[in-house]
Order: sequence, then C-alpha cells, then structure tokens
Amino acid sequence: MTETDPELLGKAYDSRLMRRLWGVTRPHRRLVLFSMLLFPAVAALELLQPWLTKIAIDRYILTGDWPGLSRIAAAYLACLLVLYGLRVAISYLTQVAGQQVMHDLRAALFAHLQRQGAAFFDRSPVGRLMTRVLSDVEAINELFASGAMAVVGDVLTLGGIVVLMLVLNWELAMVTFALVPVLAAGAAYFRLKARESYRGVRTRLARLNGFLQESLQGMAVIQLVARERREAELFAGLNGDLRRAQFRSTFFDSMLYAGVEGMGSAVVALLLWYGGGQVLTGALTFGGLVAFLEYTGRFFLPIRDLGAKYTVMQAATVSAERVFGLLDAEPGIISPAGGAVAGLPGAAAVEFRNVWFAYEGEDWVLRDCSFMVAGGERVALVGPTGEGKSTIVRLMTRAYDVSRGQVLVGGRDVREWDLGALRRQVGVVPQEVFLFTGTVEDNLRVGAGAAAQNEEIERALRTSRADRVVASLPNGLRQEIRERGHNLSQGQRQLLAIARALLYNPSVLALDEATSSVDPESEALIRAGLEELLRGRTSVVIAHRLSTIQTADRIFVLHRGQVRESGRHAELLAQGGLYSRLYELQFGGIGP
Amino acid sequence: MSPARRVLGYLRPYTARYGAGVGCLALATGFSLGIPWQVKEAIDGLRGGGGALAFHAGVIAVLAALHAVARLASRFTMLGAGQWVEHDVRHDLYAHLETLSPAFYLTHRTGDLMSRAANDVQALRALAGFGAVMLASTTFTFAGTLAAMWAIDPRLTLWALAPSPLLVLLARRFNHQVAVESTAVQEQLGALSARVQENLTGMPVVRAYTMEAREIDAFGRLNGDYLARSLRLARTQAAFSPMMGLISGLGGLIVLWVGGMGVLDGRLTLGAFVAFTAYLAHLAWPTIALGWTLGNLKRGLAAMTRIAEILDTPGHVDEPTEERQEAHTVATGWGSTGAIPETVAADGESTGAINQDRGPRHGAPNPQPPLLNGPIEFRRLSFGYDGRGRALDDVSFTVPEGATVVVVGPTGSGKSTLGALLSRLYEPPPGTVFIGGRDVRELPRERLRRSMGYVPQEAFLFSRSISDNVALGDETAPEARLRASAETAGLGSEIERFPEGWATVVGERGLTLSGGQRQRVALARSLVPEPAILVLDDVFSAVDAGKEAEILRSLRAAVAGRTTLVMTHRLRVAQEADRIVVLDEGRVVEQGTHAALLASGGLYARLWRIQQIEQELADD
Repeated sequence: MTETDPELLGKAYDSRLMRRLWGVTRPHRRLVLFSMLLFPAVAALELLQPWLTKIAIDRYILTGDWPGLSRIAAAYLACLLVLYGLRVAISYLTQVAGQQVMHDLRAALFAHLQRQGAAFFDRSPVGRLMTRVLSDVEAINELFASGAMAVVGDVLTLGGIVVLMLVLNWELAMVTFALVPVLAAGAAYFRLKARESYRGVRTRLARLNGFLQESLQGMAVIQLVARERREAELFAGLNGDLRRAQFRSTFFDSMLYAGVEGMGSAVVALLLWYGGGQVLTGALTFGGLVAFLEYTGRFFLPIRDLGAKYTVMQAATVSAERVFGLLDAEPGIISPAGGAVAGLPGAAAVEFRNVWFAYEGEDWVLRDCSFMVAGGERVALVGPTGEGKSTIVRLMTRAYDVSRGQVLVGGRDVREWDLGALRRQVGVVPQEVFLFTGTVEDNLRVGAGAAAQNEEIERALRTSRADRVVASLPNGLRQEIRERGHNLSQGQRQLLAIARALLYNPSVLALDEATSSVDPESEALIRAGLEELLRGRTSVVIAHRLSTIQTADRIFVLHRGQVRESGRHAELLAQGGLYSRLYELQFGGIGP
Repeated sequence: MSPARRVLGYLRPYTARYGAGVGCLALATGFSLGIPWQVKEAIDGLRGGGGALAFHAGVIAVLAALHAVARLASRFTMLGAGQWVEHDVRHDLYAHLETLSPAFYLTHRTGDLMSRAANDVQALRALAGFGAVMLASTTFTFAGTLAAMWAIDPRLTLWALAPSPLLVLLARRFNHQVAVESTAVQEQLGALSARVQENLTGMPVVRAYTMEAREIDAFGRLNGDYLARSLRLARTQAAFSPMMGLISGLGGLIVLWVGGMGVLDGRLTLGAFVAFTAYLAHLAWPTIALGWTLGNLKRGLAAMTRIAEILDTPGHVDEPTEERQEAHTVATGWGSTGAIPETVAADGESTGAINQDRGPRHGAPNPQPPLLNGPIEFRRLSFGYDGRGRALDDVSFTVPEGATVVVVGPTGSGKSTLGALLSRLYEPPPGTVFIGGRDVRELPRERLRRSMGYVPQEAFLFSRSISDNVALGDETAPEARLRASAETAGLGSEIERFPEGWATVVGERGLTLSGGQRQRVALARSLVPEPAILVLDDVFSAVDAGKEAEILRSLRAAVAGRTTLVMTHRLRVAQEADRIVVLDEGRVVEQGTHAALLASGGLYARLWRIQQIEQELADD
C-alpha cells in the first residue's frame, strides 16, 4: 500500500528529473520540437475566432454588408478546418512522442533487469518491478498527453487573450484583470483545501481497504472467536469516517467549481455595465464588446484547471523518479573489465576455498567452507534442509558473490570469468522445472539458441529419454507450453529439463534433484537420462535419489555450513556418523 | 433481481435528497439560462441608445449568485446521497462477507474480492453520485437551452442543430473503433505484462542458461507490437477527438452566417444574435459528456452485478434455535498460572451437555448463552473438501471430558480437518461430530465457537496492538487474565521487551514477529475466554524445541481439567497425552498411549524414530 500512499506525492516539477526525461526524448527530439511549434499556431487560431466575430459584427452585420459577411464566414470556415488539422497533428505527434519514449523506457528497464544479480531480486518483489515497467512508465506518458504539453498550450492561450484584450480596450481589460487576483486567490484556497481533504479521503480509504483486506485474510479467525459483530462495528466506524471525509472533499471541490463559474458570470455583469458605457461613448465597438465576452469565457477555465494538471504532473514526477531510481540501480555482479576468462576446454574442476556467505548480515549460511571437485568427478551433496546445499550451487554460477574466500572454476576465481562464459561452462538444473511460454522446441533451444541443428535436438531428446515425451504430445516439438508447463506431468517436465541441459552442453553441471515423486516408469527414464547427462562432466548434485548417492564418486555431507564428512556411500555408512543418520532419515523410506 | 432494481433499492432511502437535488438542478439550469437572456436585453438596450445597463448587470449578478447556490445545493445533496449509497453497499458487503465460509475464501482470492469491494463499490458511487448529477443536469440543459434558442428564433435553431446528426453518426463510429482498438492495446499490455512476470519469476533459469539476450529480443518484439497498437489507437483518437470541436464550430459558423444575415435583414436583434451564440456554447459540454454519462451507467450496473455475485452467495444456513436447557457448572482448574476463573467449580462430575451458566446478566440486552463442555466425539466421520478426494475416512474416536488426546500423523493425513469440522468452519455430515453428546450441527455457531479455544495451524494476527490481538475473543477480559494467558503461552517476558510492550502494533509498519511468536500470541488468544474445550492445531510447528518444552509445562497446568484435542506432527507433545490417535491418509491407523504405540512398532514408532534423528542432528 505504500506504493500508492498519498503522502508520498512529491514535487510536480523537479528540474533534475526533467532534464533526464528530456534526455530520454533525444531520439525523438525532432518530433517533440515540431509538435511544440504547433501549439502557438493552435492558440492563435483559437483566439482568431472571436476576433472574426468582432469584425463580422462591426464591419458587416451592423453596416449591412451581405457579401462581406459571407467572406468572413468563409474565413471562419477556413480557420475551423486548419484548426482541426493542427489539432489532429498535435494530438497524434504528442502521442507518438510519448509512446516512443515509453517504448524506449520499457525496453531499457527490461534490459536493465536482465543484468541484475540474484540478490537484487531477493530485495525486490516481482509485483513492484512489474509496476515499474508497466504502470509507472505509463504514468510518465501523462506528462506528454495532458501534463507539460497541455500546460504550454494553456499558457500561450492565456498570454494571447491578455494581449488581445489590451488591444481591444485597455481600460476594460484592466477591469477584467482586476478580478484575476480574487479568482486566483479563491481558486488557490479552495484547491488547497480540496487537495487536503482529498488526501484525507485517500488515507481513510487506504485504512478501510487495509482493514478489509486483513478481514478477508483472517475471516476464519474472526469467525472462530465469534467476533463478527464487533468487527462489523469497527468496519462501520471506518466506513462512516470515509463517508464524512468524502463529503468534506466534495464540499471544497464544489465550492471551487461554483466559485469560478460565479466569478465568470460576475465578470459578464461587470463587462456589460462598464463596457456598455464604453460602447455608448464610442470607446468600444459592439463587436469588441461581444469579443470581450467570449475572451473572458475562455480566460478563466485554464486558471481553474491548472490545479488538476498540477496533480497529474505530480503523479508523473513520482513515477519518473521511481523509474529512474530503478535504472540507477547498478548491477552488483558484472564481468570484470578486460582480460576476463572466456572459457576453458574439457571438464573444469570446481573449488571452494574458505568460503563464507550470508544472504543477509552475519547470518552465515556457509562458514569457512572448503572442498574440491576434480574435473569429471561426480559429487553428491547431502544434508538437512537449509544447510547451504542450494547456496553452493548458486555461488558456482555467481548468482551471488561470496562474502569471504573464493570460488574457483577451472582454477580461476569466478570473479575473473566473463559472466556469460562462466554460465555457459557451468550449467544449472534447478529443482523446480521452469518452462517458458512457447513451444517445446523453444524451451529446448533456450540456452543453445537458434544455432542448434535439428539433429542435435533429436540426439539430445534420445539421449535424455525425452523423445517419448515429445512423441506423446499431439504437436510434438511444436506443442505449445501452457501455464509454465503445468499441462505436462511432473515426470515429463523433468525429462525435458534434462534434454534442455544436454543441449546446453556445459562442462560443469550443478543439479538440484526434484523432491516430488513420479511414477516408477518415469523414474526409471529420468534415472537413465540423468546418467547420460552427468557422463563426462564435472557435476555437483543435490541428491534426493538413492541411485544418485550410490553412483556418486564422492558424497559431501553438509552441516552447519561446512562439509563435515566426505567419501563413498559405503565408506560413510560404515563410519556411522552424520551420514548414516541422514541416510536413514532421507533415504530409509520412512520419511514423513 | 436485476442490477438496475438492486441499485434503485439502494437509492430508495435517499429519495428525498435526490428529489431536492434534482429540483435544485432545475433551478440552477434556469438561472444560468437567464444570464445570456439578460445580455441580449442589455445589448438591445445599448443599440437603442442607452437602456438600463446597471439594471441588467445587477440582475446578472443576482442570477449568478442564485445559480451558484442552487448548483452547490444540488451537488451537496446528490453527491452526498451517492456517498451514502456507497457506504450502505460497503456495509452490506462486509456484513455478508462475515457470514461466508472458508470454502468461499478458498475459491475467491483476496485480490479479486478486494477489487470488488474497492473498485466496484466506487464505480457504484460514481453512478449514484456524479452519474445521477450528470444525467439530470444533461437533461435539463438540453431541454432548457433548446427551449431558449427556439424562443429566440426557431428557424435559426434548426440551422444550428443541422450538424448534430453528423456528430451522432461520427461518435458512434468512433466509439466502436476506439473500443476495438483499445481492446487490442489492452490485450497486448496483458501479453507484455505476462512476459515480464514470467521473466522475473524465471530469472534463475534465465541466468543459468544465459538467456538474457533472447529474453530482451522477445520482450522487444512484444514491446514493439504494443507500440504499434497504441499508435493505431492514437491515430484514431487524434482524427476523431478534434472532430467534436470542428462540428460544434460549424454550428457556430452557421449561426454567424445565417444569424448574421438575420440581423442584416432585421429579423433578429444583435442582442438575440449574441445570446443565441452563448446558448449554442451551453450545449457543447453536455454533448461531450453524454458519452461519459452513458458509459458510467453501464460501468455502474456491471459493478453492481459483480457485487451482487458476492451478496447472493449463500452464507450460513439458518442457525438452529435452541431452547435453554438446564445449566450445570463445570470444573475448570486454571491451576498454577494464578488466574482465577470467574466461575468456581461446583459440579465436576457432569459429563452432560451444557455446562456453566454465567447467567443472564440483569439488564444486559443480550444474555450470553451458557458455554459448552463435555466429551468430543467423532463417530464414523468421513469428509472430503469440494472436488477433492476424502480427507477423512471413517474416523471414530472420543476425547473424554477433561482429557487430553493428541492426534499425530504425516502432513496431509487429515489432522487439521478434524479441527475445521469441530468448529464448523466446514459443515460435517450429520451425526458424525458431537460435543457433550450433541451434534455440532445443532449448535449455534457463535455459542459453539465461544465455548471452544481453537488455534488453527496458521497463526493469523491482525495489524493491531498485541493486547488487542490477545483479547480478540473477549474484549472485556481483565488485564490480569491477558497477562496470565500470555504467561501460559510462554510470551510473558517477551511482550515486555517489545518497543511499546502490550501496545506494540503487529505487522507491516509495526513489529515483525517470528513464526513462533505469532503462534504463541494465537495460543494466548485462545486461552483468554477460558474455554472448557481447547483445540490446538500444530501450534508449536515454528516454536523451537526448548521453548516448546517450557510452554508445554505451563500449558499442561493450564489445560488440566479442560477437554483438549491437540493435532501435531511433533511427537514430544504426544508423549504425555491421555491417548494418542495416529492418522494416516485420513484413517485412524493406531490408537493408544505413547508406550503402547512405541511397543507395537507401527507408524507411530517410525515417526518417533525420525524425530529422534532430527533432534540428534539439531543437537549435533
């Protein structure tokens, strides 16, 4: 709820932000400048119409010049048509500029997000990031559509009216302007009050909705302690509060509108009275008086609406600030500049050298953890949950950086590697198979890209035993994946994940075995597929399968952030230490 | 009931306000139409060489003031009434939500319900408030302005309105095209946002397979398509929106030309010509707003339909009415915690239905019904949640009055379902769940739940103070009892250490409690009303072992004499129970004491062994 907190509305204009926004418009600068040029033209034509009426009255209607009136009517028509054309152009051009800028900002944000490390996503909920990329960017567009641009138009129109009034009759103009301070002060007062009371509405609404949301989540508790009546009373209190605040807001809002409207009428009365006198003395023509009446009508509306535009600007500024704030978040993990390790032949060794790691503060997950996995060796990690097994996998690909110590792949610190090269060398198969929207083939090609030949895909499918999965799908490789793959069975998804990893062909593999059980037939297929996948690669497997620990070259027993025991299955069992107990717990077939 | 009738039903109580508001609007329209008329008179007077300028100016000032007052009055009454309608709908909605069962909340996500309670209710206010104002005001303005124009010159009126059919035709075509194109934009936005969400949730995979460039490409394509669709919509809007101005400008042009010739011919005075132009301008705004007014009506009715879906979901079935039965008093030993129950034990042997009569307090309008006690019995209970298999299958066992029975079993074995049925969060089949020999279905929910301290598995706390959270079940409880309950739940010293003690607010902007602390607050909450029956569903799952032992000690003293049903997967809790029931896949597979079950070497014995290993690992 903090996102929409009304108290957070900041300045409507921030020169630093504006300069930055101006910078974003650079590729579309010509468009923006051109549409800005059109504004004065529109303002001029809008002001021309009453002037034409004035001429029509003074020169033709009152003198009885029929052809002249027709000529003026033709000019009026031309004016209308040109105005229409200009308005179309302005509306379209500002939209094009705004939409292009939004498009660019979205693309920049998305690309920026791709460069962020895992720690960034731990801090930033998906919902908030989506708001940045979608809603906040959309709000910035308001600056183009109805904010800054429209204000420019309003200011031009106001200026034009002032000049024309002075030209028509400066005394009468002064009479009109005399009321401007009154109007401006009144409008400012009521606008301020209206905004204040509106803020009151927002806070109360947020409070009410917060209460409601909590009630919905905790309804079972409310019902269990038989507290429905009391909660309904509390809700009624908030509901009543909100209604009163709304009425207060309505009061000031209505006062503002009625006040401006009344003021407009007062000016008409004043003009008739004073201007009528001027007409009688000949200082003003009839047409001039009529034009005056029309100009004053157009004079007060922009002054009234300035406040509404201010609010739009405020919202857009807040959004812009958030968007730029996100763009300014430097990715914590990047490839080293120059001379980065770009890939090694053969199955690389993996070493953890006195690694300390905490996701937060001093909450150590790994404490002085050291081990060595030789090239081509197959290592199984076992240990109670939450003891750092998954963390080891994450550190191997530099999803996070270690707090202390070193992680080495192929004898080189992962921080010396080019990030992309490291991640092509070290493949990760996460526990939960994540399939993207698209076809099965798209999902297989995920890492290998379009370069992979069809034969390679066929081979990977055969080797991983996933060929049967594909054969069983109505559209084979072209089958669309829906709902992140939940139209496939758990076993099918795992087999596809194995095929995907085979196609990606890393020399080091970090694999987190799925815990959920599958039917015996799929289990046999998966086991065979895994065997093929691990062959000839250095591998670190978070083991949940008996076969995995039995076939591992070595087993590392992780406890309290360290490798406490290591060796083959039979050796470790014989030791009767931690491992034997863990084995009984996790593989003894008596798990809960 | 149709949504429109439903809306009218909510408006009815405010008929007088709406009537007054509409009356004020009629007056306001009249006053505002009077102003151009005065201008006409004044100008014609001027043409006549003088006239009563000051008089007309004065009348205009008065009309302007009257208009402002009438307009304000209409807004206050009608917008105010709209706010009352919103208030009432929200009130009914909340009251109804309170009667809906957990099954409803399982199938309706909070986000969806919130959107109805927030956005739809607001859409309804827009209809009942500003929508009503606009509807009345548009009608009056059209009728009044046309009448005034007709009065000045019927022929000119027809001329001025000539472009209007064109406007209507264009508007319809435009609305249709905009609807089609903005749907296309919305769809693409949906695709775009789905893509972003997928990318962000799948980020570990994106990183692992170095898919970044591909993802940026894919997003770029969707983004480009979104831009193209948005621009298509922008083009339509850019072409059509200024058309309104053009067409009303054409009206002005016609008036200038035809009206101007009328003045030339002497058929029209200059003042009438000026007033006519002003009236024409009056029509522009309601015409533009017409589309909004109709759309608003449609949105409001759609919102009412969605709200009605909730209001029409049946809540609790009618509660059984129960005649008062004879009252007994029951022994409730609060034991070593030091709090003294209000009622003192008298008739401890009673195994009967109704216990303890706190007695109708004299003068109290709503006497509390006596609380329940007695054995809990499950009799051949089979139950399945909607659309899923059986959660419980032929379960029978009894918790004798004053005894403690512990139900253990793996996750998903049906433990929690027992509590949900006992408290009638879900309705058990008839004749399967009994308290004190009475089928729970025959007991009013409120009384049943007041009699039972039920702590569900998930400890839900409200963003209120600790003391409000603990006193949730009995706000009138004396402070000493709150403290005693907190003490029993093992919270005592911790609360003192919170920044503001008992007044510390839990939640987002207040104190963040650990899972174990939350569970203990929920436990304390259940103890405050001093129920004779306690049902604890896995309340120690997030409490660490040392603390657990401590709480167990104090709780044992507290529950002495209470009928207690404990569901847990921690077998330490079970050790000292009077009896243990072992559930597996919804069936009772073993029953007995700890020692007997260990000796039999079944599921319980295996679970016990696993927990011992876990304990060893933790202690290692």
